[in-house]
Amino acid sequence: MDEAAALAAGSALLYREAALLDRTDWDAWLALYVPDCVFWVPTWTADDRLARDPATELSHIYYATRSGLEDRVWRIRSGLSVATRPMPRTMHAITNVRLAAATDTTLELEANWSVDVFSIKNQASHRLFGRYEHRLVARDGAWLIARKVAILLNDYLPSVIDIYSV
Amino acid sequence: MTTIADLGRYVVDDPARGVFHVHREIFHDPAIFELEMAAIFEGTWIFVALESQVPRPFDFFCATIGRQPIILIRDAAGALHGLFNSCRHKGSRVCHTETGSAELLICPYHAWSYAPDGTNRSIKDARHAHAGAAFADEDHDLQRVPRLASYRGMVFASLNPDVPPLEDWLGDMRVLIDLVMDQGEHGMELVPGRTVYSYGANWKLQTENGMDPYHLTSTHPSFIEIVSRRQDEARDLAAIRSRDFNKSLEARSGCFTFPHGHSCVWTENPAPEQKPLYEGLDALRRRVGEFRAQWMLNLRNLTLYPSVQLADSESLLLRVIRPLAVDRTEMRLYCMGPVGEAPAARARRIRQHEDFFNVSGLATPDDTTVYEDCQHGFKARAIAYHQGYARGTGLVERAPVELTRRLGIAPLETVIGSFQVQQEVQYWPMYRQWRRLVEAALARGAPSARAAE
Repeated sequence: MDEAAALAAGSALLYREAALLDRTDWDAWLALYVPDCVFWVPTWTADDRLARDPATELSHIYYATRSGLEDRVWRIRSGLSVATRPMPRTMHAITNVRLAAATDTTLELEANWSVDVFSIKNQASHRLFGRYEHRLVARDGAWLIARKVAILLNDYLPSVIDIYSV
Repeated sequence: MTTIADLGRYVVDDPARGVFHVHREIFHDPAIFELEMAAIFEGTWIFVALESQVPRPFDFFCATIGRQPIILIRDAAGALHGLFNSCRHKGSRVCHTETGSAELLICPYHAWSYAPDGTNRSIKDARHAHAGAAFADEDHDLQRVPRLASYRGMVFASLNPDVPPLEDWLGDMRVLIDLVMDQGEHGMELVPGRTVYSYGANWKLQTENGMDPYHLTSTHPSFIEIVSRRQDEARDLAAIRSRDFNKSLEARSGCFTFPHGHSCVWTENPAPEQKPLYEGLDALRRRVGEFRAQWMLNLRNLTLYPSVQLADSESLLLRVIRPLAVDRTEMRLYCMGPVGEAPAARARRIRQHEDFFNVSGLATPDDTTVYEDCQHGFKARAIAYHQGYARGTGLVERAPVELTRRLGIAPLETVIGSFQVQQEVQYWPMYRQWRRLVEAALARGAPSARAAE
């Protein structure tokens, strides 16, 4: 696959993921991830240093398998979490998508993101923004997410953040 | 107009009638908030940092006491100093990052410089200033924070010089702090990284909620369900092994209250093996004894009123509370663990912290949402008082009991019952201290927007 085609395929998956989150199409969103995926939102350990090792440093969210994401979806759907009752409205915007590395079976992508979140309850919006690093793998003719790192640049956080806020 | 005499209606503490009432106005009145900042957050000991956050000479940490920016910094000999983070010349901050290291604090504006003990080192072009003798006679040092003291590595500062010595102020809470700080044979440390967030509600919702056993089953049912689903399905995340709340319901539980606003809630741990500390249990028992080791494994939440909470439940949380406005509060969360902890235990400790305490986790967002719901509800000004502070009143012991004797503490009140009592007695010292501090501040002439009306 040439670089342009790889970038187009990778970008399409990132945009699809954003759309599924914004439409709360949770099953289709989970299906974008391989079962042994990594989903990681590292903390900043100093003003200029990101956490590098989830085993020894704090993360905002760290899962080494998809089951952590499945817990999140279960929680949102359960109606048992007041933080998502009602579910806030979100808008993901992804830009500056770059291809960092590509083989026939893997794509490494970097991108910039921002998410606007509107809390229906509080009648107020906030925006989180940062950088993405995605690793995609080819499975049965489709690209799936094997690793998603969402680096939060504005880490003075609002009162609720979740998988849909990054 | 509010006068000192009127303050009595905000906190009604009448044990003879079995009454403890707190007025809702103290959660939503901006004038009372201004008074609280002067009286409480600028009137008593406030947590700054752990000594381990400034481990070496010249290391600094920037914090805020009440509304005022300060620097905690070590000098060349390692002694700690508390300084206001404001150049004496035109007021600029002289430290610009949350943490760092500086042998000299240099103002970015006109380059006045200061030693880590606050001593002025230079005034740019002073020789050519023709500023006169009166200027030369002035004290140009960074202003020092009136009181700074540490207990077991926890550094506190007070902007009010007239406070009891820190050890007296902590009182028997020291015994309970020791149960945290003695967990590591080589001391305790913070895991790198932290969470800072704000929520849209009054700070006292956090001081209460951090000590509230009553909300767990009703605010966090999704967390409780997820923990049991992980265990039932033998999922990889079952390894996080957070508390099984269903088991806790039958456990022996209670609270201790102390002077100066402090309290402790506790539950005997029905599943101590969930704690990372459990892995070194034999060595721990040999070092601290069977009874203290068991208490280190029990679930304990402490409030060192008003600014800091230690939650030794899921993981070991250090939570710093800073009010920003009557309806806005900043939270800083740190994860604490023993120095030299085994890698697997450390990783599990971190996952437990993230899972439960993070504002991006599975429990705290439900708390913060409820705080904001309460703040919205306070707009119902027609309602004067909260209800429910009476829970547990019938179980209050004021004399020592076997448990408090063994722990070596003399609480004002002790409650021991099943977890399902879910007492609210632990809030009493907070509001008593609230009233004492506010009264004391008004007596020494603290500005009160209300009183000036």
